[in-house]
Amino acid sequence: MTTAQFILSGWTWNPLVLLSGACGLAIYLAAFRDRRHLGWFVAALAVLLLTLLSPLNTLADGYLFSAHMAQHILLLLIVPALLLLSLPRTTSLAVGPRVFTHPFFGWLAGVGAMWFWHAPSLCNAAVASRSVHALQTVSLLVLGGLFWRQILAPREEECLSPPRAIFYLFSACVACSVLGIIITFSPVTVCSIYTMPPHDHLGLMQTIRAGWGFSPERDQQIGGLLMWVPMCLIYLTAILAQMARWFAQPTSPAAENI
Amino acid sequence: MNEIATVLGRAGLLTAEQREHWKMSWLSTVDHKRIGILYMVTALFFFVIGGIEAMFMRVQLAVPNNTLVRPDTYNMLFTMHGTTMIFLVAMPVLFGLANYVVPLQIGARDMAFPRLNAFGFWLVPLGGILLHFSFMAGGGPAVGWFAYAPLNETPYSSQLGVDYWALALLVLGIGSVSASINFIVTVLTQRAPHMTLRRLPLFSWMIFINSFLVILALPVLNAALVMLLIDRRLDTHFFLQPGGSAIMWQNIFWAFGHPEVYIVAIPAFGILSEVIPVFSRKPIFGYEFVAGSTVAIAFLSLLVWAHHMFTVGLGHAVDLFFVASSLLIAIPTGVKVLAWSATMVGGRIRLNTAMLFCVAALVQFLVAGLTGISHAVAALDWQTKNSYYLVAHFHFVFVGLIVFAILGALHYWLPKMSGRMLSERLGKWTFWLMLIGFNLTFVIQHFLGLAGMPRRIYTYPDLPGWGWMNMVSTIGAFFMAAAALLFVWNLAASLLHGKLAGDNPWNAWTLEWAATSPPPHENFHELPPIRSRRPLWDDANPDRPDPIVGTKWKAETTSPEKNKTAVTAFIISESGFFGVLILAYLFYNATPQPGPGAHNLNLLKTGIFSLCLFASSFTIWRSEASLRKGRHRATACWLAATILLGGIFIIGQGLEYRGLFQSGVVISSNQFATTFFTLTGFHGLHVCVGLIALLIVLGLALTGDFKQGHSTALKSVGLYWHFVDAVWVLVFSAVYLLPHLR
Repeated sequence: MTTAQFILSGWTWNPLVLLSGACGLAIYLAAFRDRRHLGWFVAALAVLLLTLLSPLNTLADGYLFSAHMAQHILLLLIVPALLLLSLPRTTSLAVGPRVFTHPFFGWLAGVGAMWFWHAPSLCNAAVASRSVHALQTVSLLVLGGLFWRQILAPREEECLSPPRAIFYLFSACVACSVLGIIITFSPVTVCSIYTMPPHDHLGLMQTIRAGWGFSPERDQQIGGLLMWVPMCLIYLTAILAQMARWFAQPTSPAAENI
Repeated sequence: MNEIATVLGRAGLLTAEQREHWKMSWLSTVDHKRIGILYMVTALFFFVIGGIEAMFMRVQLAVPNNTLVRPDTYNMLFTMHGTTMIFLVAMPVLFGLANYVVPLQIGARDMAFPRLNAFGFWLVPLGGILLHFSFMAGGGPAVGWFAYAPLNETPYSSQLGVDYWALALLVLGIGSVSASINFIVTVLTQRAPHMTLRRLPLFSWMIFINSFLVILALPVLNAALVMLLIDRRLDTHFFLQPGGSAIMWQNIFWAFGHPEVYIVAIPAFGILSEVIPVFSRKPIFGYEFVAGSTVAIAFLSLLVWAHHMFTVGLGHAVDLFFVASSLLIAIPTGVKVLAWSATMVGGRIRLNTAMLFCVAALVQFLVAGLTGISHAVAALDWQTKNSYYLVAHFHFVFVGLIVFAILGALHYWLPKMSGRMLSERLGKWTFWLMLIGFNLTFVIQHFLGLAGMPRRIYTYPDLPGWGWMNMVSTIGAFFMAAAALLFVWNLAASLLHGKLAGDNPWNAWTLEWAATSPPPHENFHELPPIRSRRPLWDDANPDRPDPIVGTKWKAETTSPEKNKTAVTAFIISESGFFGVLILAYLFYNATPQPGPGAHNLNLLKTGIFSLCLFASSFTIWRSEASLRKGRHRATACWLAATILLGGIFIIGQGLEYRGLFQSGVVISSNQFATTFFTLTGFHGLHVCVGLIALLIVLGLALTGDFKQGHSTALKSVGLYWHFVDAVWVLVFSAVYLLPHLR
C-alpha cells in the first residue's frame, strides 16, 4: 500500500468513538446556555476524533511507536486542555474529595499517566488488547483533565497563582522529559510489540520501513523525542500563557494595596 | 559583621585595633556589597590571567608555522583560557554585580544568608587555586574546556591536570549553586514592602530566573565531574571503553553546557535592560515581554543541548528535533532585541560610556545570534563545527555581548560602589579601543573558519589568506588588551581622585540610586514609596507618575519562609544531581552484562532497611506535628527515633557493602558495580549529611531553642530528610525492584 492510498483508506470509523463524540456535543449544548466557548469544545472534539479515527490511530495500532506517542500526547495534553477551556467561566470544578483538588495530585496524574503507560508490559498490552487500549484512552483523558484543572479551571480562584502554576508546569515538563530522554537513548526496546507487528493487515510495513525510513530503532527514538521536545513546547506555551495571565492583570488603583 | 574577627579577638588572637583593620574586615566580611566587590576583584585578577593566556595564543597564531609555544603548551593554554574565562571571570563578575545590585534594587538590607554568601564567594579563589595548582602537579589540563571523553580519561591524560580541573569545577559549581540559592531566597523573601515580583527591576528579575537555571544546570555538571573523577581515581568505565560511553559525557556536559551559555548571557540581558532605558530617558519598551521572554529562553536553553552534538552522529531524527527547538530560541531573543531597540527609538539618547558599551553589546549580540542560527541548522553546522567560524560565534556571545555588557554595567554602577565617577574621556577611549579591537579580532575569524581553519591547532601552514587574516586577528587582540589596561587605569584614577558621584548621577529610577554612594552598611535609612517599576521616577515626578502596577495574588505580597525556601531550592538542585546518576544507572544496566549484577543484591534485607528509612519520614513528620502543638519532649523523642531509623539504614547499607566487598564486588568490577556504588554511595552520603543536620536540630531541641519559637530549622531539615527518602524510593525501585519486574 502506498502512502497516498494509506492516507485515504487508513480511517477507522469506530462507532463507539463517533457516538461518544455526538453525545458529548449534545450534552455540552444542553448543559450550557453560554455558547461563547463553544469553539474550544468543537476544537477539542475535532482533535479527539482526528486522534482516534484518522490514519494516526491505524499507525499507532501496532505499526509505529511514535504514532502511539503522538496519540498519547494529544489525548493527555491537548484534548483535556481544550475541554477545560470550553467550560463557561462560572463552572466550578471543586467537586469530589479534597485530595483530588490538591495540586500535587494533579501533578501526579499528569506525570504518572506518562510513566505508567510506558512501562513495557503495559505499553504492549495497550496495543495487544482492545479493552486495555480503551481503558488507556479514557484514563489519559481523565488524568489529563485532572492535571490541567490546576491551570485551566474555569474559575480563576480554583487555579494556581501564576508563579505556582509556572513551577507546576515546569516540574511536570522535566519529569516527562526524563522519560523522553530514557526512551530516546535507551539501548533496549521500550514497547517491543512495535518491532514485530503481529498482523500487517494493510500491507503497510514495506512503505513504513523502506519508504518513510522508519526502522524500529528510529521509530522509538522519534517517540522519545516527541515526548521530550514537542511535549515540552506544550508546557512552555502554557507557561507563557501563565506569564501573560500574570502580567495582564489590570493595573487599576483599586487593585492597589498601599 | 566581623564574626571571624570577633571570634579571633575573643580568643585573644586579635587586638581591638587589629580587628578594625581593613584587611581583616574585608576577609571576614558578610556584607553583600563587600562580597560583591570581592567577587569582581577576583574576577578581574583571573581576567588578567585568562587574557595573558589568550595573548599567548594570538601571538603564536600571528604567523604561519610559528614555534613560540609547543603544541602541548598550546593545548593547556586554550583549556585554561576557556575554563578561566567562563568559571573564574564571567560567572564571578556577574555574581559579584548581582550580589552588589540585587539587594539594593529590591530594597533589602542584605542577602538572605550573608554567611552562605561569603562561603559561595570564597569557593571562587579556592577553585581558582585548585585549577592553577595543576601546573605545579605535573601539568595543566590540556583537554579543552569541555574535556571530551575519552581524552579526559587516564589512558589519554595521565597527568593530574584533569583531576585538578574537575575538582576546581566541582568547587566552583558548588559555589555557584549556593550563590544562586541565595539569590532566589533573597528575591523571594527579602524584598522591601510593596516591591512585588511584578515591580521587580529587570536586572533583579533576570538574576532571579537565571538562578533557577544555575541550580538546575550546575548539578548536572557536578554529576559528570564526580563520574569522571571516579573513572580516573577508581579505574571505572563511565566514559571509557569497555562498557562506558564517551557520548554519555557529551550528553551530560552539554545538558549543563548549553544552559551555561545562558547563565552568563541572561545577566547581560538584565544589564542591557537597565542601562538602555536610563540613557534613552524612557521606560523599557514591553517590560512584560522582556520578563516573559527570559522565562522562555531559560526554559528552552534546558531543552536544546543536542545541537552541540550534530556532528556526533546521533541520527537524523534527533538532529531534526534539535534543529527545530534550537531555532525557536531566536524568537524570545528576538523579542528582547526588539524591546531594547524600541526603547531607544524616540528616546533622548545619552551616548556616554555605559550606554555605548550596551548599544555595541546589542548590535554584536545580534550578529552572534545570526551566526548562532546558522549553527542551529545541522547541515550548516557540519561544515563549520570546530572551525574558527565557531570560535568567532561564541566569542561574539561571550565578548561581544557579555564582556561589553559587563563593561557597560561597571561604568554604570561603579559610581554607586565607590562614590566616584569614572573619567568619561578615558571611558570613551576604552570603548573605541575595545570595539575596534574586538571586531578586528573576531569578525575576520568567521572568514578564517569558512576558509577551513580548524580551531585548537597550535599552528598552521602558509595557506592562501590564512597568514594575513590571523595577523589582523592578533593585532585586534592587542587593541583589546590596551582597552583592558586603560579600563584598569581609569578605575584606579577614579578611586583615587574621581569626581564625586552623588546619590543618583544618571537620574536613574531603581532603588539602588536612592541609597547614598557608596551605600551605608544597612543600605537604606528610608525607602521611597514603591507603586510602580520606577519608584525614583514617581518620587521625582509626582505630577506624572508611572501607572501603578497592582497586586492581585497573595503570593506577590507575602514572602515564603526563608529557610524552607532555601531548602526547597537546594532540593531542586540535588534532584538534578541524582537525576543524572539515576539515568546513568538505567543506561548502563539496560542490558545484562557479565559479572556482578542485581542478583548479588539481597532484596529482602535491603527492603527491611529501606522500610526503616521510609518510617523515618513518618517520625520526622510526627516530630514537626508535636512541635506545632508545643510538645517539646515528644518533638525530641520523635527526632531521636528519626535519627535511630536513619542510622539503622546506614548500618544496613554498610553491611550490604561489606557483603559485596567480601564476595569480590568492587566499584571497578563492571558497569553494574560502578553505577550501583556511585548511586547508592552518594545517597548514603546524603543520608549521613541529613543525620548530622538532624543531630544538630536535636541539640537545638534539647537546649530549648524551639521553646523560643525558632522552629524553622526542624521544618527545613525535615523537608530535606523527606527528599532523601524520596530519592531512595527511586533508587530502590531502579536498583532493586526493576530487575525483578523484567
